[in-house]
Amino acid sequence: MSTSETRFQVDHRPRPAGLAIRTENLSRVFQVRRSRKWPRGRRVVALDGVNLEVAEGELFGLLGPNGAGKTTLIKILSTLLLPTSGRAFVSGIDVARDPFGVKQRINIVSGGESGGYGILSVRESLWMFSQLYGVSNRIALDRIDRMLKLVGLEDDAGTLISKLSTGMRQKMNFVRGFLSDPDVLFLDEPTLGLDVTTARTLRKFVREWMAERPGRTVLLTTHYMAEADELCDRVAIIDRGRILACDTPASLKRQIARQAVLRLEVSSSDGAGLSQADLARLKDQPGVREVAARWRPEAGRTVLTAILEADGAIPGLVGGLSGLGLVVHSLAKEEPTLEDVFVKLVGRTLAEDTPTNNGDHDSRNGTLPGDGPEVGVGGAGDGEAAAGGGAADESAAR
Amino acid sequence: MTTSEAALEGKRRTAVGEGVRIFKMAAWLGWQAESNWTDPWLFVIYSVIKPVAGTLILVLMFAVAGRGSAPELFWASYVGNAFYIYVGQLLWGISWVVLGDREHFQTLKYMYIVSPSMGWYLVGRAAAKFFVATIAVLIVLGFGAWALGIPVTVRGVDWALFWPVFLLGIVSTAALGILLAGVSLISSNHGAMAAESLSGALYLLAGVVFPVDVLPGWLQPVSLALPHTYWMEAVRRAVLGHGISPMLQQVSEGQILLILALTTAGMVLAGGGFYRWAETLARRRGLIDQVTWN
Amino acid sequence: MKAPPGSPARAWWDWKYVRWLLELNLRAVRARAYVRVVATGREIMWLLWEVLLPFMATAAYVFIYRALNAPPAYLGFVILGGAMTAFWMNVLWAMASQFYWERYSGQLELFFASPASLMAILLGMSAGGMFMTSVRAIGVLVLGSMVFRVEYAVAHPWLLAYTFLVTLWALYGLGMLLASVFLLYGREAWHTSNLLQEPVYLVSGFYFPVRALGFWVAAGATVIPLTLGLDAMRQLAFGGSPWAIAPDAVGLFPPGYEATALTGMAVLFIGAAYKALGRMMWAAKVAGTLALKH
Ligand SMILES: Nc1ncnc2c1ncn2[C@@H]1O[C@H](COP(=O)(O)OP(=O)(O)O)[C@@H](O)[C@H]1O
Ligand SMILES: [Mg+2]
Repeated sequence: MSTSETRFQVDHRPRPAGLAIRTENLSRVFQVRRSRKWPRGRRVVALDGVNLEVAEGELFGLLGPNGAGKTTLIKILSTLLLPTSGRAFVSGIDVARDPFGVKQRINIVSGGESGGYGILSVRESLWMFSQLYGVSNRIALDRIDRMLKLVGLEDDAGTLISKLSTGMRQKMNFVRGFLSDPDVLFLDEPTLGLDVTTARTLRKFVREWMAERPGRTVLLTTHYMAEADELCDRVAIIDRGRILACDTPASLKRQIARQAVLRLEVSSSDGAGLSQADLARLKDQPGVREVAARWRPEAGRTVLTAILEADGAIPGLVGGLSGLGLVVHSLAKEEPTLEDVFVKLVGRTLAEDTPTNNGDHDSRNGTLPGDGPEVGVGGAGDGEAAAGGGAADESAAR
Repeated sequence: MTTSEAALEGKRRTAVGEGVRIFKMAAWLGWQAESNWTDPWLFVIYSVIKPVAGTLILVLMFAVAGRGSAPELFWASYVGNAFYIYVGQLLWGISWVVLGDREHFQTLKYMYIVSPSMGWYLVGRAAAKFFVATIAVLIVLGFGAWALGIPVTVRGVDWALFWPVFLLGIVSTAALGILLAGVSLISSNHGAMAAESLSGALYLLAGVVFPVDVLPGWLQPVSLALPHTYWMEAVRRAVLGHGISPMLQQVSEGQILLILALTTAGMVLAGGGFYRWAETLARRRGLIDQVTWN
Repeated sequence: MKAPPGSPARAWWDWKYVRWLLELNLRAVRARAYVRVVATGREIMWLLWEVLLPFMATAAYVFIYRALNAPPAYLGFVILGGAMTAFWMNVLWAMASQFYWERYSGQLELFFASPASLMAILLGMSAGGMFMTSVRAIGVLVLGSMVFRVEYAVAHPWLLAYTFLVTLWALYGLGMLLASVFLLYGREAWHTSNLLQEPVYLVSGFYFPVRALGFWVAAGATVIPLTLGLDAMRQLAFGGSPWAIAPDAVGLFPPGYEATALTGMAVLFIGAAYKALGRMMWAAKVAGTLALKH
């Protein structure tokens, strides 16, 4: 039905042709309410002067750890949140001035969504959401059935949502985002916590959907480097609300191709991980650019990623490790990944949360002095801390 | 039974200490959730405004239609109504633990992971509710004595009768609450209304504010099978010195205590048993983390 | 994306645009109402539970009047009041607190991000809630009237029907308003809902003619649409005429005036709900409080 597919818009300003998303110096500061830990409240800078341009038809990835500001950016672009300063345009429409114009063209899916009213069936729930976009019944039901088949949920179309497993629920939410046939689709960590097969199905779905009609644009956020690498035309690396690099995955990796990326598995005799001080000492070795650590509680070992100026620095690094009383179990030189790019830019792995940016500090690298949460390297080595770290890492370690 | 379930079962039997730990934690949690004493406003809502407003409804009904009736009838209704606050609060409180945690915070599944049995957790949450209700009851009784001339005094109470009766009544109410929690566990959001509805039905069947004698003949046996009927009657006798029902007048205090003890035991068995069954069913069908609201 | 070729300007004088807007929002109303209507059908067993038990709670109040030998019309008052409590409960728990809970589940953001107006969502929630609750209320009314053999004397059925409907819209208009207000100012919506339960039962005269509160208190209570609605329906159900106070029904104002006032309230509340919604949405966008998770 053509009327329900029609969209209405007024252009407020001339826009560069072919840009689906554009931000100008976009910043967002949250005023966090008083709490016991922060008796006077605090300011969190979630986005800090972001400039982005995403072309129509592009599958654009935003790669960054938890707390980097990815969701905040998506919320601003989808009119759920106002920027503190700067501007943002979706399909050339200013998100702050004309949210209604934007809403007609977009849709969002976020991975953590719990989604839907339990007493509705999958099909009914999806139909309900399609109605909020004015899609006619015939088109909506048609799309629902087709897309449920694509994600392998066709047999559960009549199942009540309260009876769905988490994975099924997430697939359903995923389908919801496509029902209105948006021009710009925001996918906020859509595969968060999903098993490998399901995640793969969804990624394939996105690619096919993009190919179906040129001009469709997807902005996808993730903290899984493989996802960004495999899926996206271009990737922006974001940390602490800043875009640190933006290019195709291949060019990003080429940046560090001349350097050596080493993956080492180490353990210490007392079973503990590495402390922040240990890492700093390793970084001081000649020829060592960056070292980041990820504690693997199930193995009782730490996986180190080291970026070296050249192969010649390897003996120095290994010497430094034995100097710290660590046993090296394996050492491999690897092709650089997007994660290595991130490590090089930030000095942390993607699995570690962004330390809170209070806005008072302007340091890009290293931890903030004082109150920021500690970087999650398992230094404490006691059972509970290790278990906690393990749980946090679970999804990233897939 | 799978091995892990068997292990769980073994743990459950040996883990009385664990149960006590969870009880304490739940009581503390309930304390935080339901009677946030650092917030006087919440205290006023739950311990003063709600109970007093509910009481005033009764007072006004007597005022519009009660001219010419004996004051004893009003007193007895008033005292019954006051103690009935426990029923409303405990039923609502205990079943709401399941619904609120499941639907709105979606934390119920985590409770299941840390706790071998939800039973202790529920009892702990109920303890917090009990304290809130006690203060409300005291306020309502005090208000009645001070403003409405209801002859309730500390000296006048037959404490020897009061304490055992009171204890049994609370236990049977908590047991009913646990039964209701079982219902909530395997049913949908409508369970929230169920607490409200059940306490309303008991209000009728237990003759809280009127003599059970006025109930139709076929309903009276139901009424006489409920512990709450005897609880209300005995509490009135202990507090006021007289009951409300001519029919129950023929039953002596000793007999009432005996019947109350027996019906309470029945309620505990029924509540605990049903809850266990519901919990097993919920685990088997994976209903613990269902969200059913609309 | 470029605008579809030849697409009309977005302007109020453009009929094609207005029609599109209307269609979009009517679809949203229907979809949101559907959720609640379908819930009613899916939980048919619970409906029984929801009619039977509230009926018993209402019956308790009937028996108080029986014990007091009150005039027969009072039984009708109580049954009418008891039936209408369902609407107040629904407005508190499924309208006023709804956005609060939708936010918990992340659903509010999805509604917000869609082009449909949140007002359409609220209207859909209202329509669905009215339908769902009417089933329960009518059940209680019919059952109560049959069991207690209440004899109604309706001289103006159309006015009675109009009063009922306009009372519902005024009431749900208030619910729509509170939905935004709770989200804006409420710390925890369920405490506020709880606070508004018994006190409103009291001041709106659910179980006795509101006039008994004294003229000024009763007049003050008319901010809650149920006060006027109940008063008017009681008068009209027991022989009252539109433009005079029915003395038997202890009316507050003549029902015709009350129905007129309720019409005004419906418009006022729905208008205020629209305004409040705008403020709430703006505040949420500024502060970033649309979702709890971040
Ligand atoms: N509504 C909010 N109120 C306060 N702080 C927020 C809010 N939303 C996000 N933040 C903070 O902003 C930072 C960025 O968060 P977010 O955009 O959610 O990161 P990401 O999606 O990359 O994990 C974090 O420090 C987070 O705590
Ligand atoms: Mg995020």
